[in-house]
Amino acid sequence: MLFRIALIAGAFVLATVPAQAQTLDKAPPGGTYKKVSELVKLPDFLPGMGTLYVDAKTLPAGPFLAYDHDGKLVSTIYMIPVEDLQGKKKFDDLKATGGTVDHVDMYYNAGHPGVEKPHYHIVLWHVTKADEARVAQ
Amino acid sequence: MITRRTVLQTGGWVAGLALLGAPLASVATPIVEIQMRGNADGSAVWFDPVGVLIGPGQTVRWINTDRGNSHTSTAYHPTNTGHPQRIPEAAEPWNSDYLLPDQAFELQFTVTGVYDYFCIPHEEAGMVGRIIVGSPTSTGLPSDNLPEAARQILPEVEEIVRRRIVRIAP
Repeated sequence: MLFRIALIAGAFVLATVPAQAQTLDKAPPGGTYKKVSELVKLPDFLPGMGTLYVDAKTLPAGPFLAYDHDGKLVSTIYMIPVEDLQGKKKFDDLKATGGTVDHVDMYYNAGHPGVEKPHYHIVLWHVTKADEARVAQ
Repeated sequence: MITRRTVLQTGGWVAGLALLGAPLASVATPIVEIQMRGNADGSAVWFDPVGVLIGPGQTVRWINTDRGNSHTSTAYHPTNTGHPQRIPEAAEPWNSDYLLPDQAFELQFTVTGVYDYFCIPHEEAGMVGRIIVGSPTSTGLPSDNLPEAARQILPEVEEIVRRRIVRIAP
C-alpha cells in the first residue's frame, strides 16, 4: 500500500515539474533547440564547454545548453556582446533551464560563428568545479 | 586533414611560362604555413605568424589548429562583404570559408605587393594578417578604415621586410 502511494506521489510530482525541466537534462533537449554545430560551422564538441544546443531565435544571448560526452547537461551559457554591455542594453526574461546552479563563471570570448561579435560568456554550471573536467576535452 | 587549394591570379606570365614548359624558380620554394590559433577559453585568436614575406609563386597554407573554433582566411576586398580593398589591383580576392579544426586552405601568390586579410568572425577581435609578395613598392595602405583591434595587430611593411616572419604574443 505504501509502495502504491509512493508511486502515485511520484507520478504527481513528475506531472507538476515543468516539461522543460524534464527534457533539458539530457541531450538532445528537443523543442526549438538545435545543435549549434548544425546551425553554424563549429566543432561538434567545444573543449571547455561541451556540445552546445540553442534556439536560433534567441541568438546571440541564448541560453546555450551545454552537454558532456554522455549527453548530460553541465551548464547553461549566455553570450552577451561587449558592445551591448557598453551600450547598457537590457536583457529581460532570458530563459533558464532550472535545476541547481553550483557556481558561475564569466569570461571574455573573441567570437565564433553564431556570435561573431566579441562577447562575454556567462556560464551557470550545474556541476561542481571538479566535474568541469567532463567537458575539458 | 582536408586541404583546399587555389591559385591566386597568376598575372599571366607564370601561366605562360608553365605552358611553354619553362622551369619555374618558385616550384621548389617551401610552402609557408600560417596557423589559425586560439587560446583555451577563446579569449584570444590570432594568425601565427601574423606577417610573412614570400616570393612570387610561393604558396601559403592556412591551417586551423584551434580546437574550439572555426576560422577563415579572407582577403580585404569589396567582394568579401564590402570590405576595403587591401590587396594588389591585379590580384584576385579569396575567401577560404570556415575551416574547422585541422582543416587547411592553400593559395599561391604570384602578383607582387601587400596583401591584408582577416578572419570573418574575428576581425573585430583583431584576427588579421599581412603577406608581402616580392619587394613592396609601398608602405601599405592607411589602416584607419579597419577595426581598432585590427589596426593594432597588423605589422608594418618595413618590419615584415626586415624580419621576414613576424609573430605576436597572444
